[in-house]
Amino acid sequence: MAKPVGDRWAQTSLEAAQPIILVEALTKRFGALAAVDGVSFEVRRGEVFGILGPNGAGKTTALECIEGLQRPTSGRTLVLGIDTAKEPERAKERIGVQLQASSYFEHLTLVEILELFGRMYLRRIAPKELLAKVGLSDKARSTVTKLSGGQKQRFSIAATLVNDPELVFLDEPTTGLDPQARRNLWELITALHREGRTVVLTTHYMEEAQELCQRVAIMDRGRIVALDTPTRLIHRLPVPYLVRLLTSTPLPPDQLERLEAVRSVQAGNDGYCLLASSDASKTLPALLMWLNGRGATVEHLEVITATLEDVFLALTGKQLRD
Amino acid sequence: MLWLLFLANLKMVFRNRQALLWALFFPLVFVVVFGVFRFDRPTPVNMAVVDHAGDEVSQQLLQGLQTIESLKLDTKRSEEEARRALADGDIGYVLVIPAGLAQGVGGAGAVTLTLLVDEAQGPQNQMVRSIVERFIDSMNLAVQGGQRLLGMEMQGVNARRVGYFDFLLPGFIGMGVMNYAIIGMATVIALYRQQKILKRIRATPLRVTTFFSAQVLAYLVLSLVQAAIILMAGLFLFDAKVYGNILWLFPLVILANLTFLNLGFIAGSIARSVEAASGLGNVVAIPMMFFSGVFFPTDTLPTALRVVVQYLPLTPLLDALRGVMLEARPLWEFPVALGLLGAWVVVSGVLAVRIFRFD
Ligand SMILES: Nc1ncnc2c1ncn2[C@@H]1O[C@H](COP(=O)(O)OP(=O)(O)O)[C@@H](O)[C@H]1O
Ligand SMILES: [Mg+2]
Repeated sequence: MAKPVGDRWAQTSLEAAQPIILVEALTKRFGALAAVDGVSFEVRRGEVFGILGPNGAGKTTALECIEGLQRPTSGRTLVLGIDTAKEPERAKERIGVQLQASSYFEHLTLVEILELFGRMYLRRIAPKELLAKVGLSDKARSTVTKLSGGQKQRFSIAATLVNDPELVFLDEPTTGLDPQARRNLWELITALHREGRTVVLTTHYMEEAQELCQRVAIMDRGRIVALDTPTRLIHRLPVPYLVRLLTSTPLPPDQLERLEAVRSVQAGNDGYCLLASSDASKTLPALLMWLNGRGATVEHLEVITATLEDVFLALTGKQLRD
Repeated sequence: MLWLLFLANLKMVFRNRQALLWALFFPLVFVVVFGVFRFDRPTPVNMAVVDHAGDEVSQQLLQGLQTIESLKLDTKRSEEEARRALADGDIGYVLVIPAGLAQGVGGAGAVTLTLLVDEAQGPQNQMVRSIVERFIDSMNLAVQGGQRLLGMEMQGVNARRVGYFDFLLPGFIGMGVMNYAIIGMATVIALYRQQKILKRIRATPLRVTTFFSAQVLAYLVLSLVQAAIILMAGLFLFDAKVYGNILWLFPLVILANLTFLNLGFIAGSIARSVEAASGLGNVVAIPMMFFSGVFFPTDTLPTALRVVVQYLPLTPLLDALRGVMLEARPLWEFPVALGLLGAWVVVSGVLAVRIFRFD
């Protein structure tokens, strides 16, 4: 289990009690465009926090303002208690930053790059150890140009960890990767979480947010439209469940509609019955009891839970990916 | 940290085979082409005549000499000027007519003319000597019916004879260093920005100035290596002549290269892509390559162009390089060139800092 955070990074108890990131009314304009438009949220110590949104939502801009790489137009960004608009240098020592689609020196080996980046910090982890952590020990002497997409991203995370940061920012760490490589990276991020690090990641993959994040901020057009745990975000939907049912004999839809928490019933053309439910834990027992009473044989029964994709659709009226 | 980064940059510079190849290959191609096909201009026999007599006999002598087609006479120089021009290799010969020629010829004693020659030009000296002697004989014959009243003696002088290739070599050094610095720096900055390496560096506590200082240091070292290799190729493969202290070359190269690196940095900051950066670098470098006197002296340019060209950073570099290498003068005798180079460093440096952007 997670080591107590205070041990590893020696915070004061006051520090440990505060949110690790506090964002207040953050706005960043490029001319007329408000790339980030009055965003407020906080990130708790030790959580994996996701910012989910389509391309152009303002995720990168928000992240870079928080990291101190861009100056906000207005608003406040506190990282580890440091105002990153005012004292970006002080925060840099303690955070790890992976930029979206950034690269590393082509003519240096992985070990040389990590060595070099390590020297930029007071606190550092040995290159060999970092490569072992991301599963690239056998590539120590090769250059980034020789790595696959997934390996590049893992290396990029290794480089983010050179200073053993308590807070790690990952900007779209799995974009463009195949499912296998993505799984691989998810395991790595989960490992970072288990070490007690706080991870803030952006993604436009809802599975990723759902799988990795304790809490997710859904972002669209520079604003946060919802923020909660993935489960609660889904449960907030009016009909988060779909019960798919196939029985030996056809069932009367009007009676099914009267079952608890069922909102609507549709007949699929393949003989299936589709029940939209606001609460599967209430619908299922009622359905089973009712079926039992009728003596109907169930050939197939499944509950499909809504995803963050559906949440996004419900909140913005559009798909995450176009 | 600076040291470590510097070493890392050196590694990168030397591992970037393609760029390195260009850095050396390009100027060396010129060295080889011009070294193999010696385009040395055939020098007509330039002779300065210094007339200390200034009487009717010396006038006759001059008129007679003027009729010899293979000699190109120059009578405007004082003896001192003529001797210096000979030593610098600007003219090939000096003929000195002593004072009191008319009296000497009219009186009893014979008069001796002195022919100053560059000792290194053995075969040509013999030819010119015999031309002048034959002429004097015919004068003797005409004037006094065969009585030897005029004589001649030959005096050797150690001259620096600067051939076209010798003139070109400092040009190639300057050109090679300039091209690599401008285009190398421009593409590297554009690449680092495109790959977000600059931004990634900014996300660390490292100061950007440290990052770029290390980079500049690595490029400076490379430019010295480059200059040394071009120089050695010229000296040892093609027997180029260098008269001055070769060591002056290195501080000059460093001083000028700071400007070239700044210009490359600016080009890399303006350009949106690596290709654009290399194109922009070429736009800066190529005009200088042609007009700043790599291949021919800038005095041959039209005046309007020369006025502009003299302020370009490559021009003072080449002037000073040729001054120390070919005229054997110490570096401090070129305050104008050094001042211009220094001013360029400051101006381009300020501009580079202003124009720089992370993304
Ligand atoms: N430097 C910039 N100049 C102008 N517009 C920008 C700049 N950076 C981002 N934008 C714009 O801001 C919006 C948000 O971009 P970004 O933060 O990169 O979104 P995301 O990371 O969610 O895809 C986009 O419309 C983008 O075009
Ligand atoms: Mg982005």
